[in-house]
Amino acid sequence: MTKHLIGLGVLLAVGMAYPAIFPNNLTIAISVLLFAGWATSWDLLGGWNGQVSLGHASFVGLGAYFVAIGEGQFGLAPWWTMAMAAAVAAVLAYFWGWLTFSLRGPYFSLSTIAVAEILRLVAINEEWLSGGATGVFIATLPEPFGIDLFSRTAQFYMALAFATVVIATVIVISRVRFGYQLRAVREDEDSAMAAGIDPTATKLKAFMLSAALTSIGGGIYGIVLAFIEPHVIFALLLSVQIALTAIIGGRGTIWGPAVGAIVLIGAGEMFRTTFAEANMLIYGILILVVVLFVPRGIVGELARRHIRRLYAKRAQG
Amino acid sequence: MPNVLRADGITVKFGGVTAVNNVGLSLGSGEILGLIGPNGAGKTTLFNAVTGFAPMHSGRIALLDRDITALPAFKRTRLGFGRTFQTERPFEELTVLENVLVAAFLTAKRRSEAERLAMSVLEQVGLADRAHQPALDLNLARRRRLELAKALAVKPKVIFLDEIMAGLNPPALREMIAFVGSLSAQGLAVLMVEHIMEAIIELSDHVIVLASGEKIAEGTPQQVTSNERVIEAYLGTD
Repeated sequence: MTKHLIGLGVLLAVGMAYPAIFPNNLTIAISVLLFAGWATSWDLLGGWNGQVSLGHASFVGLGAYFVAIGEGQFGLAPWWTMAMAAAVAAVLAYFWGWLTFSLRGPYFSLSTIAVAEILRLVAINEEWLSGGATGVFIATLPEPFGIDLFSRTAQFYMALAFATVVIATVIVISRVRFGYQLRAVREDEDSAMAAGIDPTATKLKAFMLSAALTSIGGGIYGIVLAFIEPHVIFALLLSVQIALTAIIGGRGTIWGPAVGAIVLIGAGEMFRTTFAEANMLIYGILILVVVLFVPRGIVGELARRHIRRLYAKRAQG
Repeated sequence: MPNVLRADGITVKFGGVTAVNNVGLSLGSGEILGLIGPNGAGKTTLFNAVTGFAPMHSGRIALLDRDITALPAFKRTRLGFGRTFQTERPFEELTVLENVLVAAFLTAKRRSEAERLAMSVLEQVGLADRAHQPALDLNLARRRRLELAKALAVKPKVIFLDEIMAGLNPPALREMIAFVGSLSAQGLAVLMVEHIMEAIIELSDHVIVLASGEKIAEGTPQQVTSNERVIEAYLGTD
């Protein structure tokens, strides 16, 4: 655990210095950090608990809309609306999980697609609230301690804080009882029950925590975008990107989703400037490579080799 | 002797097929109950019904005089059931120690406490030197012992062993028999489904024989092995 906390410290230190060193590359860094945070949140449920969600854009969207509507219509500061969004996301996850977790197999994954779709339709049709299909602007924001939240630097630090908090949460969870319950349920539900674990309750807790954390990143994303359109924020593509980031980086590992974010966003950015629309092609190729050669993901494969080497050394010594 | 476990009138039906028909059993602390019968007799089904892993059609189950019939499997575990699975089911991505840790966390809230409990159970079953090995890499005999360790780490009052002797070579079998004997000597109630008669005869205080879902005989190992209906069920008649 200490080495992970040191890793997190390094990330934080590099992050603090980043805006001063690369003032012109803040937008891509914000994307990497947001995706790192989302994919790590996703992974609490999808990797550690084995319940693959293809609807995490729902929670991103909830966060973004809460911040935008809260500010525009009720004059509520983003920190309040993010907290509200987290609570609502957790409640939504609870009800959705309660409906679907008793089904084994792919039903949960398939059903999650519907959540984002429902929210998208609500956002399009409830124009009085969400601005409808045209979307909603964030025109003004409070300035806590004189900080301009519209500045890229401030947004970068918010994204950095988000990613750090989420990764720290997972570092702690990986060590404690809840973390082992998550993994036990993923590996074998019957065997988990034989250890006194309630599989449905475990999945619900993981889903609620994952959803709440994701929505906080969604609130930051709303501020970054400043203009929220339902078909973008609730897009299946976004849900799939979040899931893929974690899968390619390494499901059920602490650093996998963050590494996945660097690889995917980095590659996406590099190839977008050179190949324009070839973006999706890159995703396709990366998925193929991972599925064929590193099914555990980048960090997953490295971690496994490391564990085996350690064991071999011990067994010899 | 007071009953730790008592089951009455257990009936399990799969569609129109009655897999277990009106079977009862009781078990005191330190007692070993052997459940035997030909293949397809309903042993594992009865075992699963009592532990809560298969739905029952009718019947009642009590643990220390508390009715637990309506409780799901994980709650039965929390009240004092420990079980193994016939085909071992380790958490494959976890190490041996972590596998046992999952079960140890049932009673130990803190990790240090859970690790101590898990290590002591691993020492008990002779897997302490394998603690940091991935569970996936264990051979059959060691996987069996890991199953046992997981069942023991929940600190059960009754332990259910589903064919843990099957497929073991003679020295491993002797070790396992001695180990199960030591569990009952510590006061644990043991219910075991077993095909290995050597183990049944040596260990059981009491044996129940199932055939086609019915209890056809019950008594001491000597009584049931000389029972004509039992011999008939196993060997058939002319």
